Amino acid sequence: MEAKKKKKSHVPFRLNILFLAVFLLFTTLILRLGVVQIVYGDSFKAEAERQENVTAKLDAPRGKMYDRYGRVVVDNEPVFSITFTRTDNMKPDEMYQIAKKLSGYIEKDTDELTKRDKKDFYLSYRADQRKIYEKLLTKKEMDELNDKEQYLLVIDRLEADELNLSKEDKEIAAIWREMIRGYSLTPQRVKVDVPQKEIAVVSEHLEEFDGKIDIKPDAQRTYPYEGTLKSIFGKVGQIPSELIDGYVLEGNDRNDLVGTSFLEEQYESVLRGTKTKINYVTDKSGNPIGKPIEDQGSRGQDIILTFDMELQKRVEKIVEREILDARQKYAANNKLSSSFVIMANPHTGEIYSMVGKVLEDGKFQDAPFGNVYNQYPMGSTVKGATVLTGYQTGVIEPGTVLYDTPLELPGTPIKKSYRNMGYVNDIEALQQSSNVYMFRIAMRIAGYDFENKRGFNNRQEAFETMRYYFNQFGLGVPTGIDLPYEDDGYNGGSQALGNLMDMGIGQFDTYTPMQMVQYISTIANGGYRMQPHLLKEIKKPGISADEQGDTAYEFQPNILNRIDMKPEWIERVQKGLYMVMNTTKGTAGSYFKNTKGYEAAGKTGTAQYDGDSYLLSLVGYAPYDNPEVAFVVVSPYAEEGGINNKIGRAILDAYFDIKKEGHKKEIIKQPDKKPSDNNQDPY
Amino acid sequence: MTNPEKETPFSQIDYNLLFILFLLICSSCIAIYSAVGQYEGNFVLKQLVWYAVGFGAIAVVMILDFDQFLKLSWYIYGFGILLLLGIILIPLVDPNAGTKEAIVPYINGAQSWYRYGGIAFQPSELMKVALIISIANAITLHNEKYLDRSIREDFLLLGKIILISIPPIFLVMLQPDLGTTLVFFAIIASLLLVSGIRWRIILLLLLISLLGIGGLVAIYMYNPEFLINYILHDEYQLNRFYGWLQPYEFEQGFGFQLVKSLLAIGSGQLYGKGFGEGNVYFPEAQTDFIFSVIGEEFGFMGTSFVISLFFLLVYRIIHAALESNDPFGSYLCAGVIGMITFQVFQNIGMVIGLLPITGIPLPFISYGGSSILASMIAIGLVLNVRSRTRKYMFD
Repeated sequence: MEAKKKKKSHVPFRLNILFLAVFLLFTTLILRLGVVQIVYGDSFKAEAERQENVTAKLDAPRGKMYDRYGRVVVDNEPVFSITFTRTDNMKPDEMYQIAKKLSGYIEKDTDELTKRDKKDFYLSYRADQRKIYEKLLTKKEMDELNDKEQYLLVIDRLEADELNLSKEDKEIAAIWREMIRGYSLTPQRVKVDVPQKEIAVVSEHLEEFDGKIDIKPDAQRTYPYEGTLKSIFGKVGQIPSELIDGYVLEGNDRNDLVGTSFLEEQYESVLRGTKTKINYVTDKSGNPIGKPIEDQGSRGQDIILTFDMELQKRVEKIVEREILDARQKYAANNKLSSSFVIMANPHTGEIYSMVGKVLEDGKFQDAPFGNVYNQYPMGSTVKGATVLTGYQTGVIEPGTVLYDTPLELPGTPIKKSYRNMGYVNDIEALQQSSNVYMFRIAMRIAGYDFENKRGFNNRQEAFETMRYYFNQFGLGVPTGIDLPYEDDGYNGGSQALGNLMDMGIGQFDTYTPMQMVQYISTIANGGYRMQPHLLKEIKKPGISADEQGDTAYEFQPNILNRIDMKPEWIERVQKGLYMVMNTTKGTAGSYFKNTKGYEAAGKTGTAQYDGDSYLLSLVGYAPYDNPEVAFVVVSPYAEEGGINNKIGRAILDAYFDIKKEGHKKEIIKQPDKKPSDNNQDPY
Repeated sequence: MTNPEKETPFSQIDYNLLFILFLLICSSCIAIYSAVGQYEGNFVLKQLVWYAVGFGAIAVVMILDFDQFLKLSWYIYGFGILLLLGIILIPLVDPNAGTKEAIVPYINGAQSWYRYGGIAFQPSELMKVALIISIANAITLHNEKYLDRSIREDFLLLGKIILISIPPIFLVMLQPDLGTTLVFFAIIASLLLVSGIRWRIILLLLLISLLGIGGLVAIYMYNPEFLINYILHDEYQLNRFYGWLQPYEFEQGFGFQLVKSLLAIGSGQLYGKGFGEGNVYFPEAQTDFIFSVIGEEFGFMGTSFVISLFFLLVYRIIHAALESNDPFGSYLCAGVIGMITFQVFQNIGMVIGLLPITGIPLPFISYGGSSILASMIAIGLVLNVRSRTRKYMFD
């Protein structure tokens, strides 16, 4: 009993100590609560009453594009899209399940699915992923490589046909592919322009997706002229992931659609609308309180392009017709499958028409971008620049007569014209396209003494001189066209004398059709290198969607440089170019006979191309005495039949026909003018 | 021994304690209703169902005389450890491991739950009670064996307690669940205090823990990088600390919850905004942050009322412990006090910025079945001790 008493004696005391500790802890809590709720209560209350601000954004329609006569070429169409919103830490399996479920309700095109997509998809949801890794990787690789390197190796080694994806699987993969491109908490379009029937089915099942799938009103670009120039108008799409930060900084949302190529990209900042922002004040449950404050956005500005769609359509038809005709008439033309044509205003640089046609499997594909992306040896068409360079460097002067006969140079095949012309002057050399005349100019610029076969000591300087003057015409330098990218031709470097001579006949450096049209415009307009451009005007958005507003900007012709050559020298070359097309001896004389209402000037070209093949080209302008339109025609792999001249003649005829017919202007709705602006009764 | 009430321990229930429990249940339902509204998933109803289950558990606990727990203690302990081991082992054989269907899913970065169908259960909650019973058992047996204790015997007891504690602490740390680990420590500490171990040893242990905490604070003050690189490791843990110390700079992560919580509680002021009038929103308010809802809608009056309820609850438990003439009963009560007090202090402390944020629910108030079940079983133990006490009063 004694022991028990002793043992018991400590417990009540210790329990009291425990109780004291509890008391102290709870007192601390009460004190702290007093501080938070009573001492600082006021300031917390003020803070809490500030409530939460929520901003909702409404998409604004993108600006439209019109041709120079007010015809709509790129329009918007309201559509519905199905979107997927990813949450943080969403597991691959969950995404797979959503994609699978959705694939049961909608059709999804699987054409864009790449091999890589299929492999990514295959690996993403497989429960036995580990086994696939173990099968495809060596032990060493498993140990030494990091996750990303391992993944890439597995992707690399996975055989596409091993995946065994059924048609249904592919559809799931196509949906999944769109889903994974999204960002957390940002709706990502899974399918744009969803048919009404699918909308109905998906709406019925929306609840199954727990808010992760939604149907949203959206807009899609439409093209009233269908394929015509569509590629130049460019694409609108998801912001490329490498550019996302910049766009977000500019106030875009991650799921915004932006211009990703050509004009849509070039004029993104103009075409993009300003979103309407609606600021709500919300209570605890997220319900708006009171009237929201609206920051009215506006649709994007419209742009008027320099194209004449009527002319464009006709030129496209001509090019298609002539390619087919040339192939049909001459067996040698069996490789001829494409041609490129640009028509432009030589005084302003406005591009009227830009045609690229490529025949593939019996069908024509549009490739107008070939005019800025592709570069070719342009042949004799550059001779105008060669002659002017000759004058400027003082190696010839107007009227200089040179002897056209085959030239033998050491270590080089004999260099000659297509026939021996004997004594020709500068104008005749252009008219009949004398190569030897140009060779002699090049040799003189190089300081080469042909009779004694010596000289050409400073080859770099010789090439630099030639290119310096060629560049003034736009040959070998960017034209400055308003597109995100253009090729500026191929510079062959400083090589043999023979190469320098070939440059004089357009057989060494290569140029794009756009550079050629700039070059011929420079000669046509008396020596001004104009920046070619596709934008004519920017219109502010009108009040309704079909209405244009005031002009916000008008493109002013931009002179990039004036060539160094004297006006009278330019006139002399113009005369030579006139004779090409208007004399029987002229290389294009037979094709430009009996033109109605205009006289053209120009220069033909035949270049050796891709080994033994030929390329036919033509540059020119009309009318001769007061040029309205300059053009270039390039037909690679054309062996026979003068397709360049046939196209050239036909497109000039088309241009002047349309001019005579008058442009079918589409009426652009203008906002009502102020009464003071017209003479009508003032109401 | 002729006491007629002997056969019916249910009639000797501490109704004061039950009334306090009733008030806590009311507070819980009101707070949960306010936190989630009546529409979403019927949380209040589910909570009431869990309470019903809890009362069932109390009844089961009260069937046996608490003396019987002395004998059963190792089975209970073993069962708890087995459940904790399952958390570690089942994912190794579960074909659905790592997916949504896993029996042991990842929730908030830890594997602490069993889930099957719609029911989720956290075994570490039960382990708290098992730990109380087994340590109380060890102390009782030790004290009966060594009536005259030298410092050597004290250390022996300390060693036994440590030995019992290591497996559950280790298993819970693996999940990892810092909150429950701390609750284990609180239980151990309160049992150590009442076990009769010499003050010297207790003070020494206290000193060591204070030095440990003080050391961490000193390192944080003078060389935070060392703390980050060598002690906390995990960014998740680190963010908790930053969220606590500088909530306004780290408003997106853990700081977000604290900022919102302080805003809610503080703006409640003295009288609160009124039931259902709270306007500070934060997610999952019905679980760990339920106290913020009470603070916002019922103000200082409401919060001090709830704290008083807990204080009275502890008072009733102390009462039961003091009255009990069996030391085992006192030890059980002391363990329950440690468990409840620490959880209340830690939970309320974290929502008012006094302590770092750890995922500990507020006993009896927070929404959640496992927590309620464990707390109710603990109360069952106390009621049991209390109801078997009087029969000895006629000795």
